[in-house]
Amino acid sequence: MTISHRRSLANRCNALKSTGPKSVSGKRASSQNSRKHGLNSAPDFESSSEYSALVELIAEEGFSAFACADIAAGLLNYRRVMDAYYDTYTSPEPVDEFLRDANVKASNPIFSELLSPSGSEPQDVREMAAFFASMQRQERRKGGPVSRRSADTHKLMRYQRNGIARLSRAVRQG
Amino acid sequence: MLYNVHFGIYVDVAMPVEDKSKSLLPFLSSPKLLPNESEAEFQSGLQSLLSELDNPSPLAVALVSQLNECLWWIKRHTVDKELLLHEAMARLLSREGSNWMGSGDSALSEALEHYLEGSAHKDQAALIEEALIDANLTLSDLRAKAFKDAARHIKMVDDLIHRQHQTIRHLQRSIDSIDYKSRLIKRMDLELAALESKQSVKGVLSLDDKPS
Repeated sequence: MTISHRRSLANRCNALKSTGPKSVSGKRASSQNSRKHGLNSAPDFESSSEYSALVELIAEEGFSAFACADIAAGLLNYRRVMDAYYDTYTSPEPVDEFLRDANVKASNPIFSELLSPSGSEPQDVREMAAFFASMQRQERRKGGPVSRRSADTHKLMRYQRNGIARLSRAVRQG
Repeated sequence: MLYNVHFGIYVDVAMPVEDKSKSLLPFLSSPKLLPNESEAEFQSGLQSLLSELDNPSPLAVALVSQLNECLWWIKRHTVDKELLLHEAMARLLSREGSNWMGSGDSALSEALEHYLEGSAHKDQAALIEEALIDANLTLSDLRAKAFKDAARHIKMVDDLIHRQHQTIRHLQRSIDSIDYKSRLIKRMDLELAALESKQSVKGVLSLDDKPS
């Protein structure tokens, strides 16, 4: 067992004891941890300069004022979704190679050493090993980078469906 | 018009007919390319789609650009299906083997990639062949097993491709409706012009009929 393996395990065990951020900036940063793509927030297209330029240009094609507004918002919304789609595709959750390839059974002596330097309960060591094994199973189930990016992009399908339906409806009713 | 830019790639959408100052594209974020993708290929796809439209309006050009992006995504996802299989093959070899556990999935995956392309160097080919012997599998057995193993993710990619097809259908309908609308306006203009000319001929005739 290498030193780095031991250190990595120790860092992960210590991280489990963490009670979260204390400072205001830390709390602000961690409040954004679950933010994935931002597509659930309501966009404000009407106040953007692109929106008014688009409305003006679309109006030249003979669409009514209502239709121009709908089409411009539909186009901007569709682009927002496709930009998020691209970003999700190009930055999937990284593979934790350490966790995926770690030999959990062989790490039991390290767990017992880390849990209590003066001798730990076998039950605690078993629980810690079981916890790491379950994390490893989860990590392996996610697969490699291509599997991850496919799964992540798959979650954005409904946004694309809604975006294109909105745009198409605006153009055809215009 | 040169517009956007990610990875330093500027996409120059040449519009053969359209007045570029009236284009909608500079106001929309542009489709982005991956670093290894050919910008020329992307542009030629867009140009061939645009050439199928007779005098496209700025809105039609914007919609065709979205359609071209969907076709590009279909290409990417199709490549991903093959990559998923390679990933699963590497995972299986790594799981079955015993001597190359140290090299990890990623090294095996890379070696397998080159091996299947026929561009593997000696060490990589030896690694894969040894792994196959140790796992008691042929390459086609491994591929079949990997297909089963990666079925869940392959299904996801199939869904993504299907979604792009549906989006293309929506865009085509929108482009058709713009095209139909512009043709309708053109036809009404022609009919109006014909009516006006008829009217003016009638006016001339009625003036001629007037007794002097």
